[in-house]
Amino acid sequence: MSAESHDHHDDHHHVLPWWKKYLFSTDHKTIGIQYGLAAGAFLLFGFFLMIVMRWSIAYPHEPLPGYLSWIFTDGWKARWLDDGKVTGDTYNMFGAMHGTIMVFLGVVPLGFAAFGNYVTPLQIGAPDMAFPKLNMASFWVYLAGGLIMCMSFFMESGAAKSGWTNYSPLAGVADRQIVNQLLAGQTQWLIGLVLLITSSLLGSVNFVTTIIQLRAKGLTWMRLPFFVWAMLVTGFLLLLAFPPLEAAGIMQLMDRMAGSSFFMPSGLFSKSDGVLDLSGSGSPLLYQHLFWFLGHPEVYVLLLPAIACVAEIIPANTRKPLWGYKPMVWAVVILGFLSFIVWAHHMYLTGMGPVISTFFQTTTVLISVPSVILLTSMIISLWGGSIRFTMPMIWAAAFLPMFGIGGLTGLPLAFNLADLHLHDTYYVIGHFHYVVAPGILFGLFAGVYHWYPKMTGRFMDNTLGHLHFWPSLVAMNFLFFPMLTQGMAGFHRRWYNGGEGYIEKDPEGINIFGQTVAENIHLNEVMTTAAFALALFQLPFLINMVVSYFWGKKVTSDNPWDATTLEWATPTPPGHGNFVTDPSVYRGPYEYSRPDHDKDYFPQWEEPKRSTEQESDSPAELAPVADDVESQSGEGEAH
Amino acid sequence: MEIPFVVNARKDTGLFNSKVGIWLFLASEVTLFGGLFSGYLFLRLFADFPWPERTLPVLPGLINTFVLIGSSVTVVFAWAALKMREWRKFQIHMSITLACAALFMVLKGIEYNAKFHHQAVRLSGGSPVEDFAVIEGHVHKVKLEGDHLVHADKNDQEAFYANQLIFKAESVTFALKRPAHEAYLQMILDQAPEGVEITLADDYKVGGEVILEKGEPLSVEMMDQLEAAYLDAISKDTKIRTAFEKASWKWIRDEKGVTEQGTYVVEMDLWKERRKEDVKNYSPLMLRAPAEAEFAISAPFNLRLDPDDVPPGLRGDSQMTLRDDTVIKGQLLESPIVMAVDAIDFRHTAMRAEKEGIDPMKAIESSWVLTHQPKGHGVEHSENTLKKAWECHQAWLSFETERLEKKGRKPTDQDKYRINWDQMIAYQQLDFDPQKVRSASDDGTLYETHLFDLSGFAGANHDKHHFPEVEIPREKVGFESTFTPKWNTYYAIYFTITGLHGLHVIGGAIVLGYYLFFGRKMYESNPEWLANRVEVGGLFWHFVDLVWIFLFPILYLM
Repeated sequence: MSAESHDHHDDHHHVLPWWKKYLFSTDHKTIGIQYGLAAGAFLLFGFFLMIVMRWSIAYPHEPLPGYLSWIFTDGWKARWLDDGKVTGDTYNMFGAMHGTIMVFLGVVPLGFAAFGNYVTPLQIGAPDMAFPKLNMASFWVYLAGGLIMCMSFFMESGAAKSGWTNYSPLAGVADRQIVNQLLAGQTQWLIGLVLLITSSLLGSVNFVTTIIQLRAKGLTWMRLPFFVWAMLVTGFLLLLAFPPLEAAGIMQLMDRMAGSSFFMPSGLFSKSDGVLDLSGSGSPLLYQHLFWFLGHPEVYVLLLPAIACVAEIIPANTRKPLWGYKPMVWAVVILGFLSFIVWAHHMYLTGMGPVISTFFQTTTVLISVPSVILLTSMIISLWGGSIRFTMPMIWAAAFLPMFGIGGLTGLPLAFNLADLHLHDTYYVIGHFHYVVAPGILFGLFAGVYHWYPKMTGRFMDNTLGHLHFWPSLVAMNFLFFPMLTQGMAGFHRRWYNGGEGYIEKDPEGINIFGQTVAENIHLNEVMTTAAFALALFQLPFLINMVVSYFWGKKVTSDNPWDATTLEWATPTPPGHGNFVTDPSVYRGPYEYSRPDHDKDYFPQWEEPKRSTEQESDSPAELAPVADDVESQSGEGEAH
Repeated sequence: MEIPFVVNARKDTGLFNSKVGIWLFLASEVTLFGGLFSGYLFLRLFADFPWPERTLPVLPGLINTFVLIGSSVTVVFAWAALKMREWRKFQIHMSITLACAALFMVLKGIEYNAKFHHQAVRLSGGSPVEDFAVIEGHVHKVKLEGDHLVHADKNDQEAFYANQLIFKAESVTFALKRPAHEAYLQMILDQAPEGVEITLADDYKVGGEVILEKGEPLSVEMMDQLEAAYLDAISKDTKIRTAFEKASWKWIRDEKGVTEQGTYVVEMDLWKERRKEDVKNYSPLMLRAPAEAEFAISAPFNLRLDPDDVPPGLRGDSQMTLRDDTVIKGQLLESPIVMAVDAIDFRHTAMRAEKEGIDPMKAIESSWVLTHQPKGHGVEHSENTLKKAWECHQAWLSFETERLEKKGRKPTDQDKYRINWDQMIAYQQLDFDPQKVRSASDDGTLYETHLFDLSGFAGANHDKHHFPEVEIPREKVGFESTFTPKWNTYYAIYFTITGLHGLHVIGGAIVLGYYLFFGRKMYESNPEWLANRVEVGGLFWHFVDLVWIFLFPILYLM
């Protein structure tokens, strides 16, 4: 990798010490797996927080059962639980951290960093990322940021508690009583965030550079697998959208540590401190703008890796090309661009004014066009295919309708009139959880089942896979669909007791809202039960991951799914440097069931039989001439 | 394994890897600073106070601009030298670049330092509108003599800056619910004079058992012990109560069999009934540890409290609550801010008055600054110097207005309502005599003495000039701060952007310095690679320069 080792072309003989091989590795595959495991752990933790919250929502007066509360120390319980019951403060803390962990520490690292790291260099035929050391730094900075955020649960102040969006001035006032602000959960959230942004910056620079610079010979832009396109766009989104949030984070950090008033309006009054000792004249709206400037592209940062996985899995399992590859590529690029100009649709209720609202309403409706192109193309890709219902395909197939529900339920929120009613209700929660949980997570599960054989050399177990899939699918719907119902009935998203305080007991009473609450509150128990079921049926997956690693069915070839993209050209699992010989690419990424080819798949790396082609000179053989490496290396790159 | 295109460019893109990387990184930096710049715009457009204009010393900023531009040129020379394989030349140019970076940071440091020691006080109260006059200057050092503040020598051991709250402490109560902040505890212990004892006022009992006896002297260790005992006690109590709660719910679910959906309300009624019984049953088992511990002070002593540690809403004449919920009882003594005034600013008062439809001059005339009876410690004041300074300013203003009128212009708000430090010096040198000021203005000698006064490089020089003294009573202090991010959103954004920019300068200098001092080995083995690295570092350096070129006008000139 360095100039000094210029002469040794082959590093395979180098035996690295274990800590360099597994811990401080610069190999993109190891880093990808590290990211995956860490993100998985954070996801489980975030899930646990959610289970505690759901208990509080369904049974607000009942102490947490032993199997949920054993993790807390007695002192922690005395301080944060009210005789074993979740308090409003604790609920807020768990809610804020659930969102933060799931978004920043769970799904983004899993989708972009884990899958992106492992698969992207393989798919473009690169030996590693362009900057392997930055790649390693990216992971460790991410882990440090995540741990700092989570450690604050054990601080005197508790963890951050002002929602995952951390709106000022609420977030600016929270934990003010802590004298040493470095030890306040709210401050540590910001420090953690700044580290996470740094990590994502290192990652995204690396991804984009790698994709631009390290594509294999012949791998022109329109021959890139869709996965790589999605990663490229995601990389740009992270690169350009995250820094304004970093600016907001720094400003909020200044508000906390240096007493400034960036986001603190004049005359701010708190019940405990009276009029706060601040200069004022700050702008809470500024924070929201900066936050959502990231916040919305972030949604696509979550989504695109999942779509990317599904887009790889569908052609491999339908044995036909991805329908509408080019429109999909353009759609994803346009989607990326548009995602930068829709952010204020999260802020209709801030009183920005109707003109601005109308602008953002328009762009928001526009962005549904490329989203629909992506989803529709994938659905049409199923048409007429001889579908192999492998484990990854089942997840990918479920992704399509589930993500569809998530997307379509978003439409009413795009219109600011409808949003007036739905804003901050469970409808919003239901909408984005449909996108993220049965949508994105299903897509990523599909990815795990799809690439697991490449990573380990063994298949994941099918029976356990089904035991994971079907209950999860059912539980997810019982968990999230009632949210839409409750939301339309006006249930607020931040009620820690599930709306119990609003119930109207007298059926003749004039408190109509209270009666609506009473009619819908039983859904809380349904959702909580579903959440427990969902937790339970993740166990088969965890078991599967471990069991298959040791005892799973061994793969018999390097290309067990008979797929066409370059990652299947590597040894299984790929060694350091990935490819045994430098790969060349001769054709597009999804050449399945070509009538002129004897097998039903024609991998990108397989050399065309040129001598016979030229001799036979048949019309069918003329077509691949455009696939010729030499003719593509120059002008083909001009896109 | 080897990563391709580290040294040589890829043919179709024409770039080597790190060049792509740095351009992407810079794009990201643009959005980072873009966020901050849009913050600046937002804050300035929606400010509800007079936004400071041309308030920073221009000279250091201007020098810094040229320093950075110069270094951007030399870094290119350094790169070119590497390309031509002239190591010596590279060393020279890179050294100049680094020297420029150092000079930039030194000037920045001088500027920052002046701000950190420059105090501002915004007044409160007043009629016909809220006062809002701003007094700027340097806080004096004082010490306590009995219950009074007297001027102290700068190097006096007991001296402290005269912006503290002086509180005669009679007792102190620590909240045990959350650990007392150790620094506060230590502060109280440190400030207690010899012979004064701070002891536990009552036995601290948990469930009838005495943990610490009355009369135990306060210490950090004993507070730890108390806190641990309290936490232990409430943990045990909670455990018992939780067990009762769980048993009740088991009873509701099992015995009563209420598990159907929609019976939530019924459950609640049952639970409430059952709870009464539970409370009766577990009450005798509770340990009931007191949530606070009071300490008696044998002889009241004067405690100096930093205003930042006591939120204004929690300051009382007989009780102070610190941020960690520690309550100190006693008596608040006179705690004025004593300072040498180098500038007075009525713009905020004028702005408020105009909003209320009142003549700004009328509002200013009723400000405490012009109406107060002077009073001094050590320094004798027979008359209100600030009022005289204001009269001098009016004399100058009448001259300035006439001068501008001839050019068809009008004085700005800053001209009208602010006495800047250089004006203050001029008026002081003319004995605060309005007539002398007017005649000096007429013959143009007013500024002559200090127009090129480099001692005022980064602001008023308090060592060289003597400024009028004022003692601002605590109740007149509306808001006070040094010129730090706390003072207003302008200084907040100024420190944030320039601070972040400074970090970029330091970061860039470290990287370039690494190439200079540790690049020789690479130069010998692979000079082209080193040239690439310097090129990339140079691109970053240009970006840092560019940011400053935007920062200088918006912060210093506009």
